[in-house]
Amino acid sequence: MGRRVRDCGRRAGLGGLLALAAIFSALSPAKAQRAEPCIGASWEVTGPLANQGLMLRIAVETALEKINAAGGVLGRPLRLVVYDDVGEPARAVDNARRIGERDNCVVMFGGARTPNAIALREPLEEMGMPWIGPISAGTTVIEHQNGRNQWMFRVSMKDRWVTGYLVDQAKQRSASGRIAFVYEGTAWGQGALPDVEAAARRAGVTLAGRETFNIGDQDMSAQMIRLRDAGVDTIILWAVDRESANMVRSMDRIGWKPKIVSAWGVTTAFARAIGPLADGIMVAGTFNWNGQLSPEAQAAFDAMKAKYPDRIRSTADLEQPSAMANAWDAVHIIVEALKLAGAYDRTKLRDAMFRVNYTGLVADYRPAFIRDNQERMDAVLAEHYKLQAFHNGMLLPIEATPYGMRN
Amino acid sequence: MEAIIQYLLTGLSVGSVYAMVGLGFYVMWSAAKAVNFNFGDIFMLGAVLAVVLLDLGAPLLLAAPAAVLAAAMVAAAIERGFVRPFNREANAIGWMLTTIAVGTMLESATTALFSSNPRALPSPLAEHPIRLGGAGIYPQELLLPVALVAVAFGLEFFYRRTLTGRAMRAVAYNRVAAGLVGIDADRITLLAFFIAGLLGALAGLLIGPVIQASSTMGAVIGLKGFLVAIIAGIANARGVLVCGVLYGVAEKFIEGYLSTAARDAIGFTLMVLLLLLFPQGLFGKAEFKKV
Repeated sequence: MGRRVRDCGRRAGLGGLLALAAIFSALSPAKAQRAEPCIGASWEVTGPLANQGLMLRIAVETALEKINAAGGVLGRPLRLVVYDDVGEPARAVDNARRIGERDNCVVMFGGARTPNAIALREPLEEMGMPWIGPISAGTTVIEHQNGRNQWMFRVSMKDRWVTGYLVDQAKQRSASGRIAFVYEGTAWGQGALPDVEAAARRAGVTLAGRETFNIGDQDMSAQMIRLRDAGVDTIILWAVDRESANMVRSMDRIGWKPKIVSAWGVTTAFARAIGPLADGIMVAGTFNWNGQLSPEAQAAFDAMKAKYPDRIRSTADLEQPSAMANAWDAVHIIVEALKLAGAYDRTKLRDAMFRVNYTGLVADYRPAFIRDNQERMDAVLAEHYKLQAFHNGMLLPIEATPYGMRN
Repeated sequence: MEAIIQYLLTGLSVGSVYAMVGLGFYVMWSAAKAVNFNFGDIFMLGAVLAVVLLDLGAPLLLAAPAAVLAAAMVAAAIERGFVRPFNREANAIGWMLTTIAVGTMLESATTALFSSNPRALPSPLAEHPIRLGGAGIYPQELLLPVALVAVAFGLEFFYRRTLTGRAMRAVAYNRVAAGLVGIDADRITLLAFFIAGLLGALAGLLIGPVIQASSTMGAVIGLKGFLVAIIAGIANARGVLVCGVLYGVAEKFIEGYLSTAARDAIGFTLMVLLLLLFPQGLFGKAEFKKV
């Protein structure tokens, strides 16, 4: 009797252990990472940068249509799920949770804002979900302070490299060597200041002025008068369309036209807003759709035009030319990585990202990313950056404009 | 000297915008003892609707007044739907929440329908600045102080010389007594919001060609218009006008000689200090109630 009771107890204990093991197995990361064939995106569908979200959507949806028409990935169609973050980091985190836990997507796609991307570090780490960013260029999005970025990849520019590039370009074009930095008073702008100063030191340039402005400022005459009086002939600009337009208006008021070399916050919407005043303003980017296009780029543009005929009629309608090319390449890099991973599994996908070699629109990514080197979890390198300039309302490769040479 | 001229010119222009928006707050407050807290959105609609009408092929001379009129009708609709039902009781504050909510909805809808990008509002007066040595101003910007003076005289005439204007003053003085003598206070309040809408939308329309039309263009300006109305004493139209222009000019001198980044911090600190010294506003009078 006593033996039977002991056996029953052993059996019950064993059963309990097995049940617990089954529960833990179900909850284990390996199990959770068997994911669905979807790319979950969080960007602005509404809010001040909603147009950037729309441009990303056009690029990603078109790329996926092409991929799915060719049979999808691993025999299954890959779909896009988009959530609106309204430009707010807290919403971006909520969206990441939805994408990772409810939709169980295999990968997440990011939007424009650096603070939103930075806010995703912990949730992505907790969920073990790869993220790929086609815009947000903040250095620390990829280069985490603890040096342990494992899940965040980028196919975009990096501020630390962009600032060096802009300083070099400004130095080449400044006749007097008197270069100033004008930036918006946000985390994005403030964050660029030390990088610009460091890049200027490396280039042997002493900044002749540093001016800031607030979001929504209509008039920047005071800043422009100070820079003009300081003898500045070239400005490195770190701003987005509306404030950039107001700055150029302020220059026009006082009859001052220095050279401007800008980060890529300035888009074709800027030129549409201020017309001929945009001519000659140079912008760093990763891709230009108005130059001589490769057959792949031409096919990508034709596909976007066919899919969105009301929105995309000409290359001038690609309001985020670099970001759209980045997004196109990012989707294809994900597809290549999934093929290498052989399964819709987040960890396998993350590991496969480091084995991707792919020729995209922006660059020949060989390899796209390097493991254990978080600086190279950026696929687009400084050598891939391209200078463009506004001419007759179009953003053209600098060599196709009259501003290609020192002038 | 060039810098001083520049700060005076642009300060006068920006200050005129603040004053016109501030006068809108004055008109609303006088009639209803309530305001549309997101009045900056009516300012925005003045410019955005003009761009939309131009897109539809309307000539500028038609698009401009039609946009102002349409925006003013939106302002009146906000009074009817989002202020009046929540301002029935004495000391009611529900209208604060509802006007902020409807303003947020308006801004989101405009972003979705109009685009989040700034759009040009073409005007021949915003193409070439008038230069004074190293300073300059667009003729379009000079329209703003001219319009402000015209609006101020127009309001003065309306309040003092017209029956409706006098009725509005009566409602402002004592809503109940005005009702007892046959004035439809609700209708007058609706009209007040409509007139305020005309002022706000006109300011947006006039500055739009210089700063571009966008769904978010009214957020900061609406706040500053409210600020100058409070500093002046919201029940004093002349005070609002003077404070608006002075605040605009002061901002430019702060930007020029103190700090661009700290401009708003200095401005808002100034407001708090002035309110501590003059609780009724610089031009306001203490209200005495007989009990």
